[in-house]
Amino acid sequence: MFGLYETAFGALTWGNILMLIIGGLLIYSALVKKIEPLLLVPIGFGVILVNLPLSGLMASIVEGKVVDSYVIGGEPAGLISRVFHYGLVWEIIPCFIFLGLGAMTDFGPLIANPRTLILGAGAQFGVFFAFFGALLVGFSINEAAAIGIIGGADGPTTIYLTNVLAPHFIGATSVAAYTYMALVPIIQPPIIKLLTTKKERAIYMKPQLRPVSKTEKILFPLVTAVIIILLAPKSAPLIGMFMFGNLLAVSGVTDRLAETASNAFMNILTILLGLSIGAFMSAENFLKLETLGVFVLGVLAFASSTAFGVVLAKLMNLVIKEKINPMIGAAGVSAVPMSARVVHRMGQQANPRNFLLMHAMGPNVAGVIGTATVAGIFLGMLA
Amino acid sequence: MTDWNLVIKIAGGGFGITILVLTILSLIVWIMGLVIQKIHSKDKETPVKDK
Repeated sequence: MFGLYETAFGALTWGNILMLIIGGLLIYSALVKKIEPLLLVPIGFGVILVNLPLSGLMASIVEGKVVDSYVIGGEPAGLISRVFHYGLVWEIIPCFIFLGLGAMTDFGPLIANPRTLILGAGAQFGVFFAFFGALLVGFSINEAAAIGIIGGADGPTTIYLTNVLAPHFIGATSVAAYTYMALVPIIQPPIIKLLTTKKERAIYMKPQLRPVSKTEKILFPLVTAVIIILLAPKSAPLIGMFMFGNLLAVSGVTDRLAETASNAFMNILTILLGLSIGAFMSAENFLKLETLGVFVLGVLAFASSTAFGVVLAKLMNLVIKEKINPMIGAAGVSAVPMSARVVHRMGQQANPRNFLLMHAMGPNVAGVIGTATVAGIFLGMLA
Repeated sequence: MTDWNLVIKIAGGGFGITILVLTILSLIVWIMGLVIQKIHSKDKETPVKDK
């Protein structure tokens, strides 16, 4: 009888055991340290499931034979490999997550102070810096672009671009992006302090931005979608969904759709995204020297994006009349709203009168637009 | 072998286009704001005619 029945113990490798520990650590970080729990719990559980051998959850069919792991170019044959294939490889989930993000985003601070869009663009410098770094250590151009985009600190964009340009890195880049987003309060403050004086950090900005009318809020997603997609056509799936989601939220006549997009729909997508990314992180896919390279270059990308955002804000201060607090440049990375909160807290430490949250939200949401635009540009040049 | 000419085109061009695209957008949003604010302030200034 036992000749017909097989347990998974015999197929368990040391790599699987290490990945089970990593999966456990991701769940621990989410439960105990409260690091991105909505993503790290599904990712961590996916990692555990896929590293239990013979489960067939990520099985695929290659040349008529069933293999136990997902093979790019094969036909999905397991529960999670189907979600991974049709949701991620077909580029559906990251784009629809942008729809939900759009419905959750308030562009008011950006519309009130549109020059913060330039800060959002400047903070993309880290993407290109890490792109160079990755090439120097031997990654291919496509892999370097996928690693560089981590600097934008935007999970769905990172997944979207990696999936097209370097699908074998999707586990490493997505976990790196979400980890660094969660570590914003640790990574950003020392960089900001290094590049600014106490006097600069104390620069006072009036707490109130001008009121933004409903007409402006409705026109913004329409104008932005048209302009950006005309200038960077390959960014259409991300920017298009982002702006569509925002239009649902601000139109005033589609509240039910906006509510669904930003809650139930977003939650369903988050579960599917997290679980399938985790399930891609089998020992054979993840335990490679390149994964370590992705993590090191990812933090370099993120740090240089923060640094260039601050430097650009300082440069802007040389030409504008009403000075801005250069720390808001650091919020140009798109980790919404963590980096805006970090800037706000540091602003209050330097000058208790300062209330920078709304000012930092402008470059913060501009960073999301900037990273999606960069992804579109990379795709236009490389895909 | 890495084609460094292509790399420089991608990095320089890519970053340049990003700055350009968002600068154009910021100008358009700024102009849009000015126009809409002007229209709204005109609407407020126009006295309601007695019937």
